[in-house]
Amino acid sequence: MDARRSDADSAVTPTRHRLSRRSSCRTFNTTKRPFLTSGVLTAPRISTVRRRPNVQQIGNDIDPDQLSLLVKDKWDLSHVTPLYNFRYTELKAYAKSLSAFLLEEKQQGADLIPGGDKVFAVTFSAVPGVAKTKDDAETVFIQVNSKAMFAAPGDAPKVMWRGWLTSVCADPQYLQSLPPEFVCLPVLCSSGSESLTFLVKCWFERTFDCGFGALSLGPTDLQWLAALWTSCHADGRKIKSLKLKWTLPCQPPLDVSMALDGEDTWWLWDRTRRQQHSQDASYVYVEDVKDFMASIETHFYKHFKMHLSAGRLMSVATEVASAHIDGKVKICPEYLPSTMELLTECAMHRMPI
Amino acid sequence: MDPTVRKLLVRILRKIPTGKLEETLKKWTHLSRNQQQSLDYSQPKWSLHENIVSLCQENGLTMRHVSELEMIYCMETPKLTTWRACHLTGAEDDASSVELICFKEQFKAHLSELIRNVSIKIKKHDDESVWMRIAWGDTFSKPNHLKPTYVVHYLQTPYVFICNLSSKNKPLLFQALVFATRHAAIKDANLSGRSFHAIRDLLMGHYNKTFPTNHSRPLKERNHLPTHPNIVKEHMEQAEKRHQVACETFGEGDVPKLETATYMLETRFRGGGGCAEDRQLKTVVTFESKSLLESLRYSATSGMADSTISPLLSSITQKGRNHFVITDKRDKGPDKAAQSLMS
Repeated sequence: MDARRSDADSAVTPTRHRLSRRSSCRTFNTTKRPFLTSGVLTAPRISTVRRRPNVQQIGNDIDPDQLSLLVKDKWDLSHVTPLYNFRYTELKAYAKSLSAFLLEEKQQGADLIPGGDKVFAVTFSAVPGVAKTKDDAETVFIQVNSKAMFAAPGDAPKVMWRGWLTSVCADPQYLQSLPPEFVCLPVLCSSGSESLTFLVKCWFERTFDCGFGALSLGPTDLQWLAALWTSCHADGRKIKSLKLKWTLPCQPPLDVSMALDGEDTWWLWDRTRRQQHSQDASYVYVEDVKDFMASIETHFYKHFKMHLSAGRLMSVATEVASAHIDGKVKICPEYLPSTMELLTECAMHRMPI
Repeated sequence: MDPTVRKLLVRILRKIPTGKLEETLKKWTHLSRNQQQSLDYSQPKWSLHENIVSLCQENGLTMRHVSELEMIYCMETPKLTTWRACHLTGAEDDASSVELICFKEQFKAHLSELIRNVSIKIKKHDDESVWMRIAWGDTFSKPNHLKPTYVVHYLQTPYVFICNLSSKNKPLLFQALVFATRHAAIKDANLSGRSFHAIRDLLMGHYNKTFPTNHSRPLKERNHLPTHPNIVKEHMEQAEKRHQVACETFGEGDVPKLETATYMLETRFRGGGGCAEDRQLKTVVTFESKSLLESLRYSATSGMADSTISPLLSSITQKGRNHFVITDKRDKGPDKAAQSLMS
């Protein structure tokens, strides 16, 4: 135990050193809670600093058609344990296997699609450009269409379910501790009927021996997202309004929603940030996020004499992006990398191994 | 039977729950006793409705009768779309002596003058309110009975409640109301909600109000579970005080079931961290709940809201509104800012 603690301690000093020199994009605050992964102890890291989203860069990395698929829908989030023996060369085989599995389930009576003569057409595709570091695995996008068995060539298939597995800036220490047969894609974003989602997850569990769980966001994560989205206002991605929603535990429960004008939100964020970190515009610090939210809550308190801290922050939304505490998000292209980085970190925290 | 009449009848029958159908038809009185008794209410809904429609066809009922059925149901359970409250202002001398027949005639006459092809039905409810159902048409088309406007007015009070009114017909209706009730003008009361009874009770003050009193109530008056004599609740007095203030502000017991309150704020930033800049922040704050006043009362008693209740929240009950636009007056001097409530 002592050897490991000193290991954790020695990990702290270089990170603190890195903070003062600001030579890397992440600073970690290691906690004293190690857990076991294949014999090597790693500690979960909670970021205190994040890089501000770079609005101009996003269009260059990801193919625009694929990008439009990623930002179109509202996604339900789940966390995924590492996949065993997942190979990017076998995507077509996986697609066939999944469609056969779904057809089998349908024949056994699962109520998946109306109409007797429809079959499933599944596509697996890799989406390069979403992963940021060299350790991250490439994003995989899955689409389940239904088409009639004897479809005419002009018939457009109907999309039943969409999902993508992704990993953005996952903790490199954790990734390196995994045995080589495992591929770590900790976040699943899915959109479609519940029964189909369940079956797709079953197939993944069977084929790759992984486990799924609901990824719910905490209030701190929602606060981070609000701050990250606001911080882009000045350089290209203007927001018209920031909507925050709290639920207070009254009887009956009281929902309070506050919609702040975009320009005013930016002014407030900029002012908060300048108070502590005036020279450093490209990073977002957790103290600034907390101060930002505290000033909004105080502004509310001065008007209504009600403590919003008695309730929970349930959702955060702008006109193009939203996040709900139940793990439902909608992202716009400019926010994609930073949002996915945050979600990857959340997923890693909630994963059981 | 005219197809539009049939369509309206079927729609109304679908809206009325089967439990209430029997008594509604009885009140309607356009089906004879035998016909009513011949209906079998245990049948599936669609076949029951078919029977009723065929009976109505037998009796040769027209749009007039069918709209009466809709009105009867609406008066019993006014759960249509959003109701809005309006305030009549500038009462003339004889406004307080307007009575039903006079009002009816005046209103019908004036509205028919303003717009041709309008169908008006006026009924008096048991609780002395006047219900009006108006189907609007225009110069070239017959009145559209599928989208009627309902108006409720309590005679000799300045309150009017309206639902389903389009902006095109608003000035016409307002003019007719102002004329018939002998007032000078009518304005929006900034109060709206889905429950008619809730907004009526709030505006007209028909709920249990607690009045401020200098005499502190002895604890025995509240239904108090007997506790061990050696146990003393330290903050009993503060809790009592909080409860008293909350009830004074938001009512006691059953309160009108308001659903939302909206505040459009354009006020100086008050988030602390004193800085020289003085910026007006535009925010829209919405409170939503199944029963808003109960939630607010609970928040005041439990300490989520301070015991001195904010004037913004207490205005809901004091002024009987749930939509507010609040701006800070521009600073005259460097350190003075007055907050004013503007309608």
